[in-house]
Amino acid sequence: MIPQLPLALRWPRRQRFEHFHAGANAAALAAVQALATAPDAPWVYLHGPAGSGRSHLLMAACQAASAAGRRVQYLPLAAVADRAAAIRGVAGSELLALDDLGAIAGQADAEHALFDLYNRARAEGSELLFAAEAAPAQLGLGLPDLRSRLGACTQFALKPLDDAERREVLKAQAASRGIELDDGVLDWLFARYARDLGALLDLLDRLDQASLAAQRRITIPFLRGFLREAGESAP
Amino acid sequence: MSDLWRRCLERLESELSAEDVHTWLMPLQARDDEAGLQLFAPNPYTLDTVRERYLARIEAVLALLAGHALPVRLEVGSSAPRATPPGGKAAPAARAGVPGGAVAEPAAVPAAFPHNLDPHYTFETFVEGKSNQLGKAAAMQVAMNPGRAYNPLLLYGGTGLGKTHLMHAAGNLMRERNPHCKVMYLRSEQFVGAMIEALRTKNMDQFKQRFRSVDALLIDDIQFFAGKDTTQEEFFHTFNALFESKQQIILTCDRYPKEVDKLEPRLKSRLGWGLSVAIEPPDFETRAAILLSKAHDKGVAVGENVAMLLAKRIRSNVRDLEGALNTLAARANFYGKPITIDFAEETLRDLLATHAQAVTVPNIQKIVAEYFNIRLQDLLSKRRVRSLARPRQIAMALSKELTEHSLPEIGDAFGGRDHTTVLHACRTIKKLCETDTRMRQDWEQLIRVLTG
Repeated sequence: MIPQLPLALRWPRRQRFEHFHAGANAAALAAVQALATAPDAPWVYLHGPAGSGRSHLLMAACQAASAAGRRVQYLPLAAVADRAAAIRGVAGSELLALDDLGAIAGQADAEHALFDLYNRARAEGSELLFAAEAAPAQLGLGLPDLRSRLGACTQFALKPLDDAERREVLKAQAASRGIELDDGVLDWLFARYARDLGALLDLLDRLDQASLAAQRRITIPFLRGFLREAGESAP
Repeated sequence: MSDLWRRCLERLESELSAEDVHTWLMPLQARDDEAGLQLFAPNPYTLDTVRERYLARIEAVLALLAGHALPVRLEVGSSAPRATPPGGKAAPAARAGVPGGAVAEPAAVPAAFPHNLDPHYTFETFVEGKSNQLGKAAAMQVAMNPGRAYNPLLLYGGTGLGKTHLMHAAGNLMRERNPHCKVMYLRSEQFVGAMIEALRTKNMDQFKQRFRSVDALLIDDIQFFAGKDTTQEEFFHTFNALFESKQQIILTCDRYPKEVDKLEPRLKSRLGWGLSVAIEPPDFETRAAILLSKAHDKGVAVGENVAMLLAKRIRSNVRDLEGALNTLAARANFYGKPITIDFAEETLRDLLATHAQAVTVPNIQKIVAEYFNIRLQDLLSKRRVRSLARPRQIAMALSKELTEHSLPEIGDAFGGRDHTTVLHACRTIKKLCETDTRMRQDWEQLIRVLTG
């Protein structure tokens, strides 16, 4: 069978520490960096709304730890179907980053599997890194033993970047691809498509492709037409 | 890392989502030689997914990069075998395939007896208070006189109150007094996992022998045996064997075992043969002392005023105290600032808000009414029958204890009562808690529900 070859993206989104715009989250960044590179650093629990950089930090930690020769794995719990099986399956890492913990809240089997994983990791000297939308007490976990263990981690409430910071990031990302996003376009976008940074960067990827295909600059009319066609037309 | 694999990974990063790359490809370790490329997956779960979804593409990219087809071998393992971390067992490959992800160590008889007690958990590092002094005394007695003082010793209570610490401390003291003493510590899941593994590999005799050859068997969180009939059966026999030859058994449970559903009656009855001690949530003074002790261990400078602030606001369990301390230390370290009251208030706002959030007077009233199975409007009414008056007094005392409201404010919230009525309620309940066990249990249970 000849495998289907996916088209390579021209600009893969790198989830490295050096691409993380810390904003108000500098202390969290430092703690996660310490966990990625120094064994025996305290375990970290990150919580914050979508777009606050949780997943980015987790993946960056995996990347940095892997570059340092450690065995790593990232597990986005919202994305897997059988969560209990996934949690039981991911053994053998020195650093394991568990994302979207809220996805297992109320699933007794998966909660118990995570409780067990936590205890095993403690006993074996491997490290865990957690991220979720909410603090451990607010996740709606049914197993108090798991909740209290998560509560023992060093915790950081991630703050999303503010509009000015997000504009900076978007502009810099665009500039690195040779796209110019003028302030008028950004004003229009932020007024109508106010989303988290992840969504904005996704949009930039797609706009990049579309403008290349159409051989057009990214202007407000182009943007409006693009969003309308994509079924995301803003009010 | 193999340079070829690094380049392959880079190329795949530009084709796949970042999530997929970090979940499935980054865990792989590579070694290339003349025979091709060998990829090691950390576990069978990853191996299966990589084989199914990515192997063909990996081979295609490698062929592209190498200029010719390159055989790729995929297996579970590590490119560089590592020294086992302290306290750790079972290399990933050895652990692979155990149902339930349980650790297979008890099945894999090593030559020397593997001690797996946590050396940090000793009686010296245990902060004693009213809530846990009975448990500590019992654990010490058992350690001084294993198999003879109390058998089994059962420590029960909520999560994060120090049961596991006491259990390890007893084991460590036994070993200190008698270095030949064989102490085995297990989480209940490990017992279950080892049994399933023994059944699968038809090694039940070895399994039985392994658990019965110890001087002391420590099993943590036996509430997780509930509903697992075969495990209970096997544990029952292990228990009997150990008990009869006066080997020490120490167990923990999250509640009084008689209250655990789906635990066999004959097992429950045996658990009651020795001594069962409740570990209660620490009181304010103990919480502050625990905090100062942990801060000292971690080398974090925390004043008494900060310890008192945290102890006042975080009542749930010791782990939450520890989390708050870790969080404070990380921030203070990062910003290069001392941990003052203001710094603590500021940095822990999110954390403390989390703990303070649920506790409001209306919430207390609702929970208390539910707890005593009375109607909320009766709780707030003027009726003075004992069945209503007592819960009302408890709710008032809880409001004083858990919120920042003044006595008059609390009186208002309870149907416009005078502040002296609230004060009287607080004193009455305090006195009752000291003399009446039932009352103290209700009080502590309600605090747990409201702050947990």
